[in-house]
Amino acid sequence: MSALVKNIRSLSKSSSYLRCFSVRPLTVAANKLRSAPKHTPNQSLFLTTTQRLVLPHERSYSSKPPLSLKLIADRVILVLQLYDKVNPEKLKLESHFINDLGLDSLDHVEVIMAIEDEFGFEIPDVDAEKLLRPADIVRYVADKEDIYE
Amino acid sequence: MSQRSRVVTLYKNLLHLGKEWPKGYDFFRSRLHNAFLKNKDESSPENIEKMIKHGEFVAKEIETLYMLKKYRTLKRRYYDEQVARKN
Repeated sequence: MSALVKNIRSLSKSSSYLRCFSVRPLTVAANKLRSAPKHTPNQSLFLTTTQRLVLPHERSYSSKPPLSLKLIADRVILVLQLYDKVNPEKLKLESHFINDLGLDSLDHVEVIMAIEDEFGFEIPDVDAEKLLRPADIVRYVADKEDIYE
Repeated sequence: MSQRSRVVTLYKNLLHLGKEWPKGYDFFRSRLHNAFLKNKDESSPENIEKMIKHGEFVAKEIETLYMLKKYRTLKRRYYDEQVARKN
């Protein structure tokens, strides 16, 4: 029984940790995690009772996970890989969107919008025009978030 | 605001509106992309101005469509199906 409690606690902890990312695939995964125990009625009953009894142990408010340059680069690359017109094999940090990856300017607008969604801030059009390579985006995001190493 | 940036803003606005398109975002996105691409060689400022106006009109229409959809859904909740169909 105590093992079960521990399991559920760790589950809720991990899901609340995941929730503080703004990454869509991750939140979907977190939702799956949360909805997973509902399949067995016994467990779901148990989950609701524990939720009522136990105070939330960890409050994340809206804090973001600490970013590093590498993390930003990974997330940018992930967003670009999920975009259907980009060939994931040709994609590198230094590849030019229009010359190397064969996107047109409208696709570029879509890419910038996807990046805005990913990092949760708006990129003005003036700046967006200059972000022509993934490396530019990484540097821009890092500047915005005050990350220099 | 230059014409180019106005076109880009229009494209962005339409994309945002398309996120709730009934047939799905991807459907809307590819259509929108083709519609913009069709006129990519247009160079006279008057024609581009006309097209931007048309695009803004389409954006308004989409907004209206969503509002109508909302209204119908609400109506269906309040009256039973038969009454809603008769009106």
